[in-house]
Amino acid sequence: MFRFLLNRLLGAAVVLALVAVFVFALTRMASGDPVALLLGDQATAQDIAQAREQYGLDKPLPTQFALWVGELLKGNLGQSLFLQQPVSQAIAERLEPTLTLALMAVLIAALIGVPCGMVAAIWRGSPADQVLSTIAMLGASIPSFWFGLILIQVFAVQLGWFPASGYGDPDSTFGQRVQHLLLPAIVLGVLNSALIIRFTRASLLDILGEDYVRTARAKGLPERVVMIKHVLRNALVPIITVLGLTLALMIGGTVVTETVFNLPGVGNLVVRGVLRRDYPVIQGTLLMIAAVYVFINLAIDLLYTLVDPRIRLEKK
Amino acid sequence: MQSRSAIDTPKLTQVLSLGRRGAMGLAAAAAAMVAMGSSTMAFAAPSGGALNLAMIGEPQGLDPVMSTADLVGTIAQHIFEPLYTFDGKWAIAPMLAEAMPTLSKDGLTYSIPLRKGVKFHNGKDMDSSDVVASLQRWMEVSARGKSVAKEVDSLTAKGPHAIEIKLKTPYAPLLAVLAAPTGMAAIMPKEVLAPQLKQFIGTGPFKFKERRPDQFTVLTKYEGYSARSEPASGYAGKREALVDELRFVPVPNANTRVEGAMSGQFHYSDLLPVESLGRLEKAGNAVVPIVTKNFGFPYIVFNTKEGVLASQALRQAAHTAMGEGELMAAGFGDARLFTPEPNFFPKGTPFFSEAGAKFYNQRNPQLAKDQAAKAGYKGEPIRIMASRQYEFHYNMALVYAEQLKKAGFKTELQVVDWATLVQRRNDAKLWDVYFTHSGFFPEPMLTPPQMGDGAPGGWETETKKKALAAFNGEVNPQKRAAMWGSVQQLIYEEVPFVEVGKFNSVSARAPKLQGYQPAFWPYFWNTSLAK
Repeated sequence: MFRFLLNRLLGAAVVLALVAVFVFALTRMASGDPVALLLGDQATAQDIAQAREQYGLDKPLPTQFALWVGELLKGNLGQSLFLQQPVSQAIAERLEPTLTLALMAVLIAALIGVPCGMVAAIWRGSPADQVLSTIAMLGASIPSFWFGLILIQVFAVQLGWFPASGYGDPDSTFGQRVQHLLLPAIVLGVLNSALIIRFTRASLLDILGEDYVRTARAKGLPERVVMIKHVLRNALVPIITVLGLTLALMIGGTVVTETVFNLPGVGNLVVRGVLRRDYPVIQGTLLMIAAVYVFINLAIDLLYTLVDPRIRLEKK
Repeated sequence: MQSRSAIDTPKLTQVLSLGRRGAMGLAAAAAAMVAMGSSTMAFAAPSGGALNLAMIGEPQGLDPVMSTADLVGTIAQHIFEPLYTFDGKWAIAPMLAEAMPTLSKDGLTYSIPLRKGVKFHNGKDMDSSDVVASLQRWMEVSARGKSVAKEVDSLTAKGPHAIEIKLKTPYAPLLAVLAAPTGMAAIMPKEVLAPQLKQFIGTGPFKFKERRPDQFTVLTKYEGYSARSEPASGYAGKREALVDELRFVPVPNANTRVEGAMSGQFHYSDLLPVESLGRLEKAGNAVVPIVTKNFGFPYIVFNTKEGVLASQALRQAAHTAMGEGELMAAGFGDARLFTPEPNFFPKGTPFFSEAGAKFYNQRNPQLAKDQAAKAGYKGEPIRIMASRQYEFHYNMALVYAEQLKKAGFKTELQVVDWATLVQRRNDAKLWDVYFTHSGFFPEPMLTPPQMGDGAPGGWETETKKKALAAFNGEVNPQKRAAMWGSVQQLIYEEVPFVEVGKFNSVSARAPKLQGYQPAFWPYFWNTSLAK
């Protein structure tokens, strides 16, 4: 177990180092000058040059990279050019809405996707299966911005049940903020449930065809026991994987939903960072998202061992 | 324009306004007046509550001296105040100054009396040492202040409640620049002044409470505010904080601002897409649409320094091919939302002039072709740069490229994002034409930046210098207004840029928001919430 963890952590470090190089190179290859944007039209060339020097953007790229990595190793993600605050603080402020939204969305996706997938698999070929499969296909094809706007129009504008956007007033409680997340969580949850339905269905079908399921049934075990103890438990491994990966993807992938609902989350931070050419924010946030992705993958691997005793990490 | 102006950052439409003329005060655009109107609150307004205000993005900061972004000015004008401001007719009016300045006969010395008993948000009384220190910092760090600094010979305190500005040569735009809410000559306590502000302390009716980037900026009512006694008019006169809190919420997605307005979540939603006007109008009692007339103008900058259009004759040919009316229609659609007209300033305002009108909206491909041939055009592509950040820029660029093609020009459309455009336009080798826009300013020298030195496009001719020296050296407002025609004529002849027309903006308020007066930089003193 320890050896496995060590290997995976080393692998994660390599991945993150590559991401750092890649992200730095990409941001600097993109055209656009953060300083020109920041200072506005009235700024002279001299003002711009002065600000570039102040932010260290006049230094050669390798020097800038070395300085950034040096700070990273000290745990410092840098200072936002636009927000005038440390990048780590900017990310920290946006983690709550993003994580809460992602968890709520995954929960909704699982609550819809797993039962529907089970129904579709157990009654394979039935009208229920066909309807659910069609819904799953449609669900996976709906653009999230469109779905979001429809929900806003119906539930916020017409019915007035939910706030149309944002993350609550400055003095709102966590509960009130969660209320702001319900509509976006439904958007993400419903759209992602399509994938979970298909995945659950496929996993269950695989397992229903396994010898040990036939054996269990041949032994005369009740169908309920066969399904819960033998089928569902084994199907959980791939389902957990896909739920975990969905969660990881949502940390940085809720961009469209966060934009439509104007949520101050991590996805929005990246998008606005790109529009503002706020290099430290783009670099720091993407690196953080990559780290989350890597570590959720690691956590999923560890969960396997708990769910499926056949998987022994030490033997890998 | 994400802040409010293309000029400043990304945003949909930028507002700007400004007034002009110094001690004289120009009457401003008739339409602009409609927008700002004079606004005394005759009713007994209820007080208290918090306003949720959906703005187009996150401000670059809250220091209005450092930034010319409209969004920064819009928020910061509630915290900070300048010596002068603009009234409902775009005339200059005193704010922290006690009265209009006394101007020496040679037009060089401005003696400015200051109000007594004005308290900063830290409780300290404002005096001339704060004003001198604030103006000095403004002249050191602000783009607008730096341009004024070149004209200033000395700035001194004359006792605790007066200052004196001595100029090297007469400079008519001085008071308009001192009154501008962006790049504001904001007065702050001298002890908090620093190249980069750490504390946001002003004299305004609201004080800074909290900023959480990309979530909100919160201002609260300043109980110690010293209001002027004159009736409110535009940005001038009596200001009163009638609500307890202002919450400026950045909502960059325009559709989200529309939905937020219609659902009643926001009491005010700034700069909405022009296409949303119909929906807002049909929304019944849920929301009140606001059309702010003569809000701004799109303009097309030509590269006078390098490339094919460095030739003035070819620029004239490229302009002859242009149909400004078509461009405005392509950009703004609904005829209620734009006006194609050759005058840079609206009818009824001091700078109204039709000089050069014959060059406007020619859309004459044959004449353009002849002019180009005569000027030696050899089929070089004209590189047109536009961003889709502002869809109307892009739509106008598409139409203009077709108009040029009809006149026999080769064109190359470069569609880039806004950040790229503002970078590339500083390199004269990369482009021939770019599209942008500005808010409307009643003082010609405040926008577009091509009126000054060092702006993209490199318009630095001797004729320009001569015309502007005469124009800005004339301190008599009437004479100066009359002189504007010759500058406008010169712009039509040398074609450093083309002012395409004027557009109106669309925003919205909740019916319960009372006392709001449409304005280029929306303000929320003298506004209240109906119970």
